[in-house]
Amino acid sequence: MKIVIIGNSVAGINAVEAVREKDKISEIKVISDEQTRAYSHPLLPNFVVGDVSRAEERFYYRERNFYEKHNVKTLLGRRAVKIFPKNKYVELDNEEKVDYDKLLIACGGKPFVPSMKGVELNGVHTLTNIKAADKLKADLPNIEHCVVVGGGLIGSKIAEKLAKKGVKVTLVELMRRVLFPVLDDAGADYVHKELKNLGVKLVLEDSVVELKGDKRVKEVVLSSGKTIKANSVIVAVGVRPNLDFVADSDIEVNKGIIVNDYMQTNIDTIFAAGDVVEAYDIVISQKRPIPILPLAARQGRVAGLNIIDSNVKYKGGFPTNSITIGNISFISMGIVDSDEFEVLKIKKDGEYRKFLIHDDKLIGAILVGNIEKAGMFNWMIQNRFDVSWIKDTFLNSDFGWKYFNKAFRVLRLDRKIK
Amino acid sequence: MKIVKINEDNCIYCHLCEVACVVEHSQSKDIIKAFKREEKPTARCGVEFNYPLSLSVMCRHCDDAPCMEACQNGAMHRDDRGYVVVNEDKCVGCWMCVMACPYGVIKRDTRRDVWGLSTKCDSCPDRDVPACVEACPNNALMFEEI
Ligand SMILES: Cc1cc2nc3c(=O)[nH]c(=O)nc-3n(C[C@H](O)[C@H](O)[C@H](O)COP(=O)(O)OP(=O)(O)OC[C@H]3O[C@@H](n4cnc5c(N)ncnc54)[C@H](O)[C@@H]3O)c2cc1C
Ligand code: SF4
Ligand code: SF4
Repeated sequence: MKIVIIGNSVAGINAVEAVREKDKISEIKVISDEQTRAYSHPLLPNFVVGDVSRAEERFYYRERNFYEKHNVKTLLGRRAVKIFPKNKYVELDNEEKVDYDKLLIACGGKPFVPSMKGVELNGVHTLTNIKAADKLKADLPNIEHCVVVGGGLIGSKIAEKLAKKGVKVTLVELMRRVLFPVLDDAGADYVHKELKNLGVKLVLEDSVVELKGDKRVKEVVLSSGKTIKANSVIVAVGVRPNLDFVADSDIEVNKGIIVNDYMQTNIDTIFAAGDVVEAYDIVISQKRPIPILPLAARQGRVAGLNIIDSNVKYKGGFPTNSITIGNISFISMGIVDSDEFEVLKIKKDGEYRKFLIHDDKLIGAILVGNIEKAGMFNWMIQNRFDVSWIKDTFLNSDFGWKYFNKAFRVLRLDRKIK
Repeated sequence: MKIVKINEDNCIYCHLCEVACVVEHSQSKDIIKAFKREEKPTARCGVEFNYPLSLSVMCRHCDDAPCMEACQNGAMHRDDRGYVVVNEDKCVGCWMCVMACPYGVIKRDTRRDVWGLSTKCDSCPDRDVPACVEACPNNALMFEEI
């Protein structure tokens, strides 16, 4: 069998590993428009400020000999431009045709850049791949004042890193707090304080409408009419599924490529996984893109297993995020800010805990400071665990196995219930 | 594959498993040095107490390990023996593994300069029987096929 994978990153690599667990024979080709071996996207902000470089193993997602070890042919520096599902081949930017029996689309996301005047000026950046990171890094010595547009995960991270390096940073966020979907007001308050302590200026409930300058950006105009003198802008308002080259194929898309429980598209021989898809969110009970690394890995694995007909279902996922800003670590999962559900929360010394419960099931949580048991809550959400009898212990800082009922605890710890 | 089986009925909250784990993961593997002279490692097992119950919990070395799936750079990986371990030179302390571990057994070490270090049971690569199991006076921890 000929397996072709478009995208040499989290979803693609996990698919390769899954296939090779059982199938050592099929031909696997991985196509990517990037030249590098798979690297860690979450480390890009660190890469920009020089905490980590291409010379360090830490920067990469898998070891150098991964492709050899897994008997994978790589076509790097080549962009897939069109898929021909009837004749089962992919056309590359150099007009080469790559035949497949099974195809996996794992081409990730791309930065969403809102329409504003002046985005083409020098000094304007995004930060979703190594090419953008290289460009920003090269520009770093010229940057005196940087406006970061968007206080999501990437925006907050790069604002923090740049401020630590002594760059003057203003973070502009449309909503009333940073990390809007991931935290609530109380949680975001910690982030605001940490960012301010590092010298980041926060502008909330405002947005950027125009960038002014001759060749290089000089000034940023906000919708409130305020202006900020800045010679650099980083646009980080979000990522969208990268649908560029599937747009005019017969593959069904909505916000992302639509997949079934087997990570299969409407075309039998074509699978999709990772940031490019919209898969099932078990907390809100509908399909939507959730561009996070753990889900890209799981979906890639499920797709790989089904490519070799293992008949494994993707059980659905939900957003989970782990963020450290300044000296405080946060973990958030599921739905975190809503009045419609039962809410348990407590704020104490250096710690904030919040849980959302619906129909006796945990549907979301925020942990700030004391995060080490977070995964136990993750399990409860994923498995729709009945929490009615244990939820009273959730707010205890020493939450752990000791609060579970014995029979259940023993079964879990003996790995009899997964 | 053998992992540490937890027999909570026999646990008396003596913490000897934690002591043995610290010594095993210290530079010198000498108890006095480990506790008093060197940088003390974090115990990979953790004893919980809720009278009359107590138990020591550590990594279950899952088949489809969620911690590995969540790791951003492969620092969390399966070694040649089949156990799930952290590559200390790679770990960046992002705590995505902490967020994913369904057993809550990954601890955070924040003593390194730039990068945090995720710390968990490695099933003692230098030993036949893990240190905690050997140290437990009551067979509350046993090394068994699960
Ligand atoms: C700065 C940053 C920080 C992040 N931090 C976190 C975090 O803390 N936690 C978290 O969970 N997630 C984080 N993410 C998201 C995480 O990196 C993604 O969810 C994950 O990388 C998705 O993996 P993927 O394999 O689906 O796609 P990607 O990693 O986006 O990889 C897609 C690959 O396909 C290639 N490609 C695209 N189009 C084509 C084409 N037409 N032809 C050939 N190749 C193509 C791309 O070049 C790329 O190599 C972060 C992302 C960024 C950018
Ligand atoms: S650390 Fe947690 S998730 Fe990872 S193998 Fe151990 S028990 Fe499983
Ligand atoms: S803390 Fe270390 S081992 Fe855990 S997910 Fe992050 S890099 Fe991987």
